[in-house]
Amino acid sequence: MASVIYHPEYRRYDFGEDHPFTPARLACLMDLLASLGYPISAVEPPVASREEILTVHGEAYVAAVEALDRGESEAGAMEHGLGTPDNPIFPGMDLAARWLVGGTLHGARLIADGADTRVLQLGGGLHHAARAKAAGFCLYNDLAVAIQEFVSRGWYVAYLDIDLHHGDGVQSLFYESDHVLTVSLHESGYYLYPGTGHIHELGSGSGRGMKINIPLEPFTEGDDYLEAFDAVVPQALSWFSPRVLVVQAGADGHFADPMGDLALTTRTYQALYTRILDLAARHTEGRVLFTLGGGYAPAVVPRVWALLYLTLMDLPVPERLPEDWMVKWAHVLGPGAIATLHDPDPPYPAFAGGEERRRRNRNTVSRLLDSLSRYWF
Amino acid sequence: MLVREIMKTPVTTISPDTTFLEACKLLQEKGIRHLPVMENGILAGVITDRDVRFATSALCPSPQQGSDPVRSAMSASVVTADPSDPIEEAARVMRAQKIGCLPVVEDRSVVGIITNMDLLDALLRLAGVYDSTGRLEVSLDDVPGELARLTSFFGHRNVNIRSVLTYPNGQGLIRTVLRVDTNQTLPLAEALREAQFTVLWPMPKPWLR
Ligand SMILES: [Zn+2]
Repeated sequence: MASVIYHPEYRRYDFGEDHPFTPARLACLMDLLASLGYPISAVEPPVASREEILTVHGEAYVAAVEALDRGESEAGAMEHGLGTPDNPIFPGMDLAARWLVGGTLHGARLIADGADTRVLQLGGGLHHAARAKAAGFCLYNDLAVAIQEFVSRGWYVAYLDIDLHHGDGVQSLFYESDHVLTVSLHESGYYLYPGTGHIHELGSGSGRGMKINIPLEPFTEGDDYLEAFDAVVPQALSWFSPRVLVVQAGADGHFADPMGDLALTTRTYQALYTRILDLAARHTEGRVLFTLGGGYAPAVVPRVWALLYLTLMDLPVPERLPEDWMVKWAHVLGPGAIATLHDPDPPYPAFAGGEERRRRNRNTVSRLLDSLSRYWF
Repeated sequence: MLVREIMKTPVTTISPDTTFLEACKLLQEKGIRHLPVMENGILAGVITDRDVRFATSALCPSPQQGSDPVRSAMSASVVTADPSDPIEEAARVMRAQKIGCLPVVEDRSVVGIITNMDLLDALLRLAGVYDSTGRLEVSLDDVPGELARLTSFFGHRNVNIRSVLTYPNGQGLIRTVLRVDTNQTLPLAEALREAQFTVLWPMPKPWLR
């Protein structure tokens, strides 16, 4: 069982029609869970205050977001990453982003106060936002604010990022911190945004060796992904001994996602969630905070995150999707949406190049472990 | 990009009478590999960490002492750059002469220095890798107007191009590498294909082909 955090105000985080990071993803998910017979009973968090945002973001940046929000001059918007196709300016964006931060922060406090160990924040995961810049659909870094809350209480935090993209914002905000281990698995940045997340980004100062990146080849399939995960993550947690796990559970690594080229399936995701819960049981007395994240295939995201919910709540996984839900959301799911919670087996036709991808991924992991061995003891 | 934009200042220099020991200490302390040698305010040579180590090594046919002056070991004919030289010109000279640095000279005084490291930094800046970007590779016909057609494609979508590199790909084609300020490179690649561009990367998903 887990505490679920959600607030209807999350839906205000909306960059407008045709933007891929749409709140419809959430509405569709919540409705699916209700149709499956598991209506969400969520804790409603308070909105994050300006001061709480300032624990990780610069004053000038927050002031710029507020000014642009009020419709004031757009001069300087670009330098803060705003007014771009990725991060369009919309009225109410400051408050909307603070609601998402409020949820993740509230989740952190539930855990830090000992009220619960397992928390699912049904939103957030804005891992690209930097100290003074919006990036990749992310205005305020809710994950970093939550991590900072733990750190301010002296906790050691392990951040695990299974989004398709590199968790660059969280990594950079804690690059020198020896209280925060970050581990990001992602499609290699040779082509994919944001272009970072190489194995040699290891942290600096006393945080050296505590920032870990596992960049995987485009078209990497589930088994190879899990192999890389197993080769690095359990060891890293054993070495670091965190008190809590914070997980960005983006779903855009799925093979049908339009933003990237990993080839994970619903079964990969379920295996990942189970592994993460096992790791939490072993290393953090079960303390784990999950957020959502990227995920842009309308017919996939609700299924993947429903699996996340069901796994975290220790509920059985039904085989079929409810018909009424399929009908109600047909316009969003698109033509040919499958009627099962899991992907078909096989999920897609076999394709070439597996051996070379596996060789490259294994070499990446082996070179990463070699460089980490200098810091681990 | 011009030499003045990437050159390092101020420049640590020595005189021909500086001893090997002093030169060695300077190289170590400053973490540098090249020392311009000045005599009467004018560039008289360059000595590198390799010159210093070899001249004082037992493997040298006539090894120098630490207390000897560096004059005998410096390269006296120095290739230099002007601050307004384009960096690719500086790179071409350094590559042709197989040298690791160019003192930058203006009015006979040394106003800066560039090394091969500075050129690597410049390459990274030119490639736009310091920004959060996605990368696209497009093959263009090597004819006028093609690059313009490509860049206006992005302009119309309000997508900011952070860098463009092109190089000939043979067979009348130009390979163009763009770094664009967006998370949405895959949808962009699809739209480019619809607009009849040859996108080399990102590729279509292999299981959809
Ligand atoms: Zn993502």
